[in-house]
Amino acid sequence: MLRYWPQYLAISPFYLLFAVFGLFPVLFSLYLSFHRWSGLGERKWVGLKEYDFLIHDHTFWLSLWNTLIIWLMSTVPMLFGALVIAALLHSVARGKSFYRMAYFIPSVTSLVAMAILFKMMFSSNFGLINAVLEAVNLPTYPWTNTPWGIKISIAALMTWQWVGYNSIIYLAGLQTIPGELYEAAQIDGAGPVRTFFRITIPLLRPVILFTVVISTITGMQSFTEAQVMTASNGATNPNSGGPGQGGLTMVLYFYQQAFSYNDFGYGAAIAWGIFVIVGAFAVLNWRLVARQED
Amino acid sequence: MELNRRRLLQLGLLGVAGTSVAATAACGDSSSGGASEKKASSLTMWYWGGGLSKNVVSSAVAQFPTPKLNAVEIGGDFKAKLLTTMNGGKGMPDITGVKGEDIASFYPQAKQFVDLNTLGADKIKSQYLEWKWAQATAPDGTQIGIPIDIGPTALFYRQDIFAQAGLPTEPADVAAAVSTYDDFFELGVQLKGKLPGHFMVKDLASLYNIIVTAQTQFYVDKDNKFIGDQQHIRDAWDTAIKALTLGIDAKISDGNDTNVGMTKGTLPAQLGAAWAGLDIASGAPDSAGKWRVAANPGGPANIGGSFLAIPKSSADPEEAFKIISWILSPENEAKGFADASLFPAAPAAYKLPELTKPDPFFGNQVTIDVFGPQAEKIPVAFTSPYDSAVSAPFFDELSNAETKGKNPDSAWNDAVSKAKSVAQRLGVTV
Repeated sequence: MLRYWPQYLAISPFYLLFAVFGLFPVLFSLYLSFHRWSGLGERKWVGLKEYDFLIHDHTFWLSLWNTLIIWLMSTVPMLFGALVIAALLHSVARGKSFYRMAYFIPSVTSLVAMAILFKMMFSSNFGLINAVLEAVNLPTYPWTNTPWGIKISIAALMTWQWVGYNSIIYLAGLQTIPGELYEAAQIDGAGPVRTFFRITIPLLRPVILFTVVISTITGMQSFTEAQVMTASNGATNPNSGGPGQGGLTMVLYFYQQAFSYNDFGYGAAIAWGIFVIVGAFAVLNWRLVARQED
Repeated sequence: MELNRRRLLQLGLLGVAGTSVAATAACGDSSSGGASEKKASSLTMWYWGGGLSKNVVSSAVAQFPTPKLNAVEIGGDFKAKLLTTMNGGKGMPDITGVKGEDIASFYPQAKQFVDLNTLGADKIKSQYLEWKWAQATAPDGTQIGIPIDIGPTALFYRQDIFAQAGLPTEPADVAAAVSTYDDFFELGVQLKGKLPGHFMVKDLASLYNIIVTAQTQFYVDKDNKFIGDQQHIRDAWDTAIKALTLGIDAKISDGNDTNVGMTKGTLPAQLGAAWAGLDIASGAPDSAGKWRVAANPGGPANIGGSFLAIPKSSADPEEAFKIISWILSPENEAKGFADASLFPAAPAAYKLPELTKPDPFFGNQVTIDVFGPQAEKIPVAFTSPYDSAVSAPFFDELSNAETKGKNPDSAWNDAVSKAKSVAQRLGVTV
């Protein structure tokens, strides 16, 4: 190792920055989660009390439930839509790069700006969604003022943001499928829908599993969407997740406790609770992948 | 370019040098770091956008050339940045703004600030409203800050819609007709009867907040004891629930929908602090001239209003105190109202032309005639550092009753038991 010190020195900026901005905060938050601390003054050791509170905290379990529902409502249509879009992109003859770029743009657009836009689209009185519903004689719905409505609005935003990103990944997967397979299917008389379900999806399975894992990890940590879309004018009860706390995700709850109420000890305990839950899902996903490969 | 050992070494060193330069730069802009210096060459003041009048700040910079006043507008989450800097202990401002909703959370850390009474604040105390001054007095007696502004509440209403519904229209008549919340709700029932789809109450949280805030203590008392299950909170809760059962609650928490309702007139009444008039003006500009202001039901409350404070680490507390007492003189607070709609905490300003001017948005009503007396009637109240965290379950459960149809009594019971457990975790006696 000593022989390579210049190389280690050369890559040391990464380790230094990681140690200061990554490793230290992680360890410090673990230390904090055993304390009661308002951000200033002394830290009071409370042992496992914060975790004990976390396990019995209905609001935390509600935030987990909200997160799972929003994740499910965004990931399923998102990945399915991405597959369809990828298949369409794959078969398009002209303007290939234009379409790819157009679908990719949402994932590099400012999330806050989009959240504000979506909040407007889902407004009860002048929102685009309700205007369309009205135009086709369907009943309108107060999306941003009800617990389920706000979940659907957030899920719609997440779907819209990541559908293009995933379709580009699928497109890369599609391009590795040999064309002969499609020709053979055509000769055997399979239509496009049947080809999609019998050839495209099975051969894309590893790519699909990859996107499921990534979507799980990001979906479990959704925060900005919920925070911006449930923000209200008043300073009372900030970051509480909107109507009936319908938009309170796990990370938003953590943010509220740590930064709105300066309860850094409990905030850290929530953060570690989220870590355990995301970890459990990652293991579950990994098991699924491993089984597929056997 | 060929990569050899020497080249790599140079690059590596450059990287390390870059990091350490950045690190020193981050720590180096401190004006207070050098505690050994006797005379400070400049004083740094932190405030947030719209927190002070820009004109007053720039005249303060001209007024105090030595030490030079360096006013910095801090973006983003102001309190988080202040807290972080206090923890680091380096790069602290010599003067800082503290928001009204955060002041109580600094009570346990009052020793982080200079007790302004030691610099002569007790001599200018009489210039400011007593209850606002008391908000910046920590339980240990330290005067943490001097008030910049306040947020006295009132009832904002659409005169044209009230006329259509056959309700009183002139501010004095409206105020007389809504002296209690029961009276106010009665008008709400009449409004909905005459004009279906029109609601007197926007949502329960804002209504409940004003009723609670008009009290003299809230969820945790001076002895750090939980009192959220007592009658004063229960009464406020029941009043809010009554608006729900009477069907005069629009159940709108979303800001965009509120703006539409205010513009169309389906939400012809807003209970809010003086600064809420700005939100109405920017959210519903098409309804200009149709709004009026009247005293709100059940007595005035205060929502918001900030302070200027001097941290212990300040390089020159005496000079800093001169600056803040100049910035916050009644005349300059009146300018703050004209430039940034900061409602003065010094009543002498209420007689100055900036405030007695008729307001075209409110049909040329002289709104100080309503807000001035409201401001002076607000009682001295005790806010605990734990009030905001302990209040959260009440707002959450109120929203459950409102948007999920939860039974109000079980919502109340859940709110109290959740609030108790939060209070317990925070070290409040239950």
